[in-house]
Amino acid sequence: MKVKKTDYKILNTELDDVLNKLQSEDLDVDEAVVLYERGIAITKELETYLREAENKVAKIKASFS
Amino acid sequence: MEDLILSVSDFVGVFNQTIEYAYPNVVVQGELANFRVSKNKWVYFDLKDEYSSVKFFGTIYQLPGPLEDGMMIQVRGNPRLHNLYGFSITVQTMQPVGEGSIKKAAALLEMKLATEGLFDTGRKRALPYPPSKIGLIASGESAAYHDFIKILNERWSGVEVLHADVQVQGDAAPVQIVKALEYLNTHEDVEVIVVTRGGGSAEDLGAFSTEQVTRAVAGSRTPTIVAIGHEVDISLAELAADQRASTPSNAAQLLVPDKSTEIEKLVAARKYLFDLVQQKFKDQKSNFKEIQKRLRENLESFVQETKHNLELKAQILKAFSPTAALTRGYAIIRNNDKIIKSVKDVKSGDKLGIRVSDGTINAVTE
Repeated sequence: MKVKKTDYKILNTELDDVLNKLQSEDLDVDEAVVLYERGIAITKELETYLREAENKVAKIKASFS
Repeated sequence: MEDLILSVSDFVGVFNQTIEYAYPNVVVQGELANFRVSKNKWVYFDLKDEYSSVKFFGTIYQLPGPLEDGMMIQVRGNPRLHNLYGFSITVQTMQPVGEGSIKKAAALLEMKLATEGLFDTGRKRALPYPPSKIGLIASGESAAYHDFIKILNERWSGVEVLHADVQVQGDAAPVQIVKALEYLNTHEDVEVIVVTRGGGSAEDLGAFSTEQVTRAVAGSRTPTIVAIGHEVDISLAELAADQRASTPSNAAQLLVPDKSTEIEKLVAARKYLFDLVQQKFKDQKSNFKEIQKRLRENLESFVQETKHNLELKAQILKAFSPTAALTRGYAIIRNNDKIIKSVKDVKSGDKLGIRVSDGTINAVTE
């Protein structure tokens, strides 16, 4: 999945969520594995985004004088 | 040559035409005197020096802020001869000049705006972190603009910057900055507005302490960060902003996290995830061991209990055994293999077998 700029915060929140759930005790191994895989996928997506995305600068054409 | 005789009105007309041709506008600098505001709209004052004094007329909208007699003021305006009230210069723009006057004007304005609550800390809003779209008000030619963009690019990715190219000093600067703020406020997706310029003299930075710019910053619907690169004084726009940054680069630092630190955090998060799931497996394994141990213990105690029960039953059985009674002195008497339970079961001369604990005694009844 390609991360869009607006997804960064959402994905970061989801990562926190995954970590919190994994830290809770009442979780069986199957659930833990699913969460682990999702967490790893998110960190990779975010890292790729940070390494590859570029900032865009647009000059406003309107005149302010 | 005959003198040209003009009516008074014609003279006013000719004079104004001539002066407008010769001096469409003039810039005059002098000490402010007789400053007064009429009907909360019209402004009258004189500018004077050691030898002369000239009248000026304007509106409160052209005032850079509160003014006091004695300040050095620079006015750009149109010289006019009024048909009733005489000569004056109609103000286009005006501003205090000279370190002392600028500071005095700024102090007066600061007091006025502070009283209105424009600088209250309770008004400050949190800035989005990191924002996805930034409105940037700066001069496109300035080092401030380039510094901000450079640090932004070094630190973060995927941010959109909408740049309003404005003059940041001179007469036109305040209006342009205010219009740019208004324009960027119409873009709902702009999450934060950065107003920035590099350092300079008090005069260069004057636009950022004008009433109109300060009010526009304070009134911005979108949160603001104002970064004016200078050392000593803080401009009023900075006081009115939601956040102040010391330099354009500092503004970029405050707005976005550092990419390499974030990547390090992501790598650490992956390791942590791995450790957590490993721990789950370990916990599960030790759970199994615990269950096995408990099962084994249960089985052992079940066997023990059963054994004990059996022994108990064996003892009871033993107690009820007929042979046990024989050892205590009881005997079983049979007559032709039939057990005798009554005297009626025998007659004289019957041969009886008496069973005792260690054998059988043969006897005959009398």
